[in-house]
Amino acid sequence: MISRVADHCFWLGRYLERAEHTARVLHVTTTLALDAELSSEQSWAPIVIVFGERETFCEKRGEPAAGNGETVQEYMTWDEENFVSMVWSIRAARENARSIREVVSLEVWEIVNELYLYMTGGEGRREYFANRWGFYRSVRKLCELALGFTRSTMLHDTPLDFIWLGVQLERAGQTARNLDVHHHAFTTLPDKNEIVQTALWLSLLRSCSGFEPFMKRHRGAVTGQAVAAFLLLEPSFPRSVRHAVEEAYQCYTAIRPPAEHQLPGGRSLERIAMLSAVLAEEPPGGLVGDRVHAIVTQIVDETAVICAGLGEELFRYGPG
Amino acid sequence: MSSESPAPSLFANYAVPDGAFDEWLDAHGAPRSAAQRAIGTLGAFDGDEIARTQTLAERALLNQGVTFSVYSDTRGTEKIFPFCVLPRIVSAADWDSVDRGICQRVRALGLFLDDVYGEGRILKEGRVPEDLVLGAKTYMPVARGIKPLGGVRIHIAGIDLIRDSAGTFRVLEDNLRTPSGVSYVLENRLISKRVLPRIVEDARIQRVDLYPARLAETLRSVSPIEPDRSTCVVLTPGPANSAYFEHTFLARTMGIELVVPADLFVDGDEVFVRTTRGPRRVHVIYRRIDEAYLDPEVFRSDSLLGVRGLFRAYKAGKVALANALGNGVADDKAVYAFVPDMIRFYLSEEPILEQVPTYVCAREDDRKYVLEHLGELVVKAVDEAGGYGMLMGPTSTAEEREEFRRRIEAEPRKYIAQPRIELSTCPTWDPEARRVVARRVDLRPYVLTSPKGPWVLPGGLTRVALREGSYVVNSSQGGGSKDTWVQKP
Repeated sequence: MISRVADHCFWLGRYLERAEHTARVLHVTTTLALDAELSSEQSWAPIVIVFGERETFCEKRGEPAAGNGETVQEYMTWDEENFVSMVWSIRAARENARSIREVVSLEVWEIVNELYLYMTGGEGRREYFANRWGFYRSVRKLCELALGFTRSTMLHDTPLDFIWLGVQLERAGQTARNLDVHHHAFTTLPDKNEIVQTALWLSLLRSCSGFEPFMKRHRGAVTGQAVAAFLLLEPSFPRSVRHAVEEAYQCYTAIRPPAEHQLPGGRSLERIAMLSAVLAEEPPGGLVGDRVHAIVTQIVDETAVICAGLGEELFRYGPG
Repeated sequence: MSSESPAPSLFANYAVPDGAFDEWLDAHGAPRSAAQRAIGTLGAFDGDEIARTQTLAERALLNQGVTFSVYSDTRGTEKIFPFCVLPRIVSAADWDSVDRGICQRVRALGLFLDDVYGEGRILKEGRVPEDLVLGAKTYMPVARGIKPLGGVRIHIAGIDLIRDSAGTFRVLEDNLRTPSGVSYVLENRLISKRVLPRIVEDARIQRVDLYPARLAETLRSVSPIEPDRSTCVVLTPGPANSAYFEHTFLARTMGIELVVPADLFVDGDEVFVRTTRGPRRVHVIYRRIDEAYLDPEVFRSDSLLGVRGLFRAYKAGKVALANALGNGVADDKAVYAFVPDMIRFYLSEEPILEQVPTYVCAREDDRKYVLEHLGELVVKAVDEAGGYGMLMGPTSTAEEREEFRRRIEAEPRKYIAQPRIELSTCPTWDPEARRVVARRVDLRPYVLTSPKGPWVLPGGLTRVALREGSYVVNSSQGGGSKDTWVQKP
């Protein structure tokens, strides 16, 4: 497969996953702000941090604005200069898809293009103001539809593996960051009210589409340790870090079989395998206090290193 | 809404401009036999239905991203190529002579290229002026002596036809370098089938969707190795190119890879593509990049686009390029005047298709005539395309004519002139007036040539001048397109 094309596939997957994740997190937070007895500040400020945008946001909108739900949503949804805003991710997903029109299926392209037209053609903006819930739902639906179509309409071959490698690595990073920020916010809450804490853990689960799966595993007992273990280590939950990394490893071994030593990409293979092993060996009971932050930091750093390594080993190599 | 007042017949008030041949209706306003079925079925539609069909079609094109980029628009905005749902219909008998005429023409043009890059017989015998050919900007001296793989030079051609007042098809222009537009032929048919399913079914027309398979076969047929084991690619300048949609379309429908120059490199006169599993040899390149930008070693050294060493690989016969290099000299607007002579010279046949009488300003008699008749003629710069650099004599101002007089006198080689041909008209939906109006059309059929000979796709791109009274059908200047229905014999 052409290296440049592989690069576009990888980023198409990442941007679709990122846009979907952003819509989901914003959506969940709007309900959290209504449910829990939390200040607007406590609900919204973590969002800006999760996406790594605190500094730029404060510079552009002022620190107090981080507590303003409307400002945060507007910034994370529509700001064209914000590299992690939904509109930016969707535009980038579409640019990547457009650069490989001959690789993605017509169905995938049409949905990605529709999503882009929805966001930039006025329809999305109208729905955003008229029906916020409907707006986030539309974005999530189209992202998931595009990703679903990749599996149901494209050859199960290298391009698909690169798309999903991108999805899974993005997902691992997002879940990890999401957990980290919320975990940090909870431990510093002045009010240790159990009801509020439970509401927050549930909201974190919901923002990872993990509420119902968690309940099926844990039958109602919501503790910080259980939620952290679930989001990081649950092997059968599709958005847990462990599951995402194992899936990423599967995709990668299809692209670069471990036995074919003559092919490029050996170092990335080792890195993904290593991260997968770290997660498999982590005891769930130990996920309290500082350990959560430590392992999450390791995950976020490792995924960044893996992505950079892929760029060097597979996407940009060779003479000329 | 308008159901209260019964819709008038779609063709009430339909007026064909004086002297124009209409594709659907004869001089008495009666349907031509080829259009009878379509008029029977579409005639049952009212304006609302046509408008709805039209909107559906446009929406589908936008959602599918069937767009082109406009160069003058710096933001690189993509637009849909305006599409009119009312088709252009060609009878089986008309198509038969178009098909034969185009094959004949393309064969002669191929032999002409072999000749001018080889022995130069036709020049030595004075049938085509030597200085006109060798002095053309499009003549490529470095291509002299190169024999392309499989003996094919014009793998893909688009021959522009117009139809005069008498309904006679005439060749207006040959496009032998990187003709574009075939993707719209296929997309337009898909849209027609989607929005007018019953009417398409009823019309007994030839299919066009076999084009990609035939193109792939054509490309493989000139490979330096066994066709079935060859790697063919489509080479595009990238997403910013105005025809990028088409490049992706062709790669996708042929199931081959689309590459940009940076994906390729040359090693030991062989071309390779960078893949995630290391380099892979490439045998045939359908290049949609202008030859001036192909290889900075040989052509424009300032080009950042090209593949260094590609020309060497081509010359060594290690890679086939479609189309071959240097074809521009055969579709030069001045050389065009001599195509009927080429057909007689190489094939000993009389031309089947007419073309437009052409005055070559490089010839003194012609120049004199042109300068005396500027007000009646269409003057074209030989190296401009897309409807730019033209003087439309009959509608020009005195200053414009004076300007062209100066230009022609300064550089006669650069200009040719032709009488204005009344382009035929075809019923076209006018969304503002909400009625069917007569608009000028042309037709570009596509020809594929393999070592076995040429094949014409039964269909083609009908371009339509959407503005009232306009003769300019180019997409860059307010033109749109129509589906072209070639009837089965």
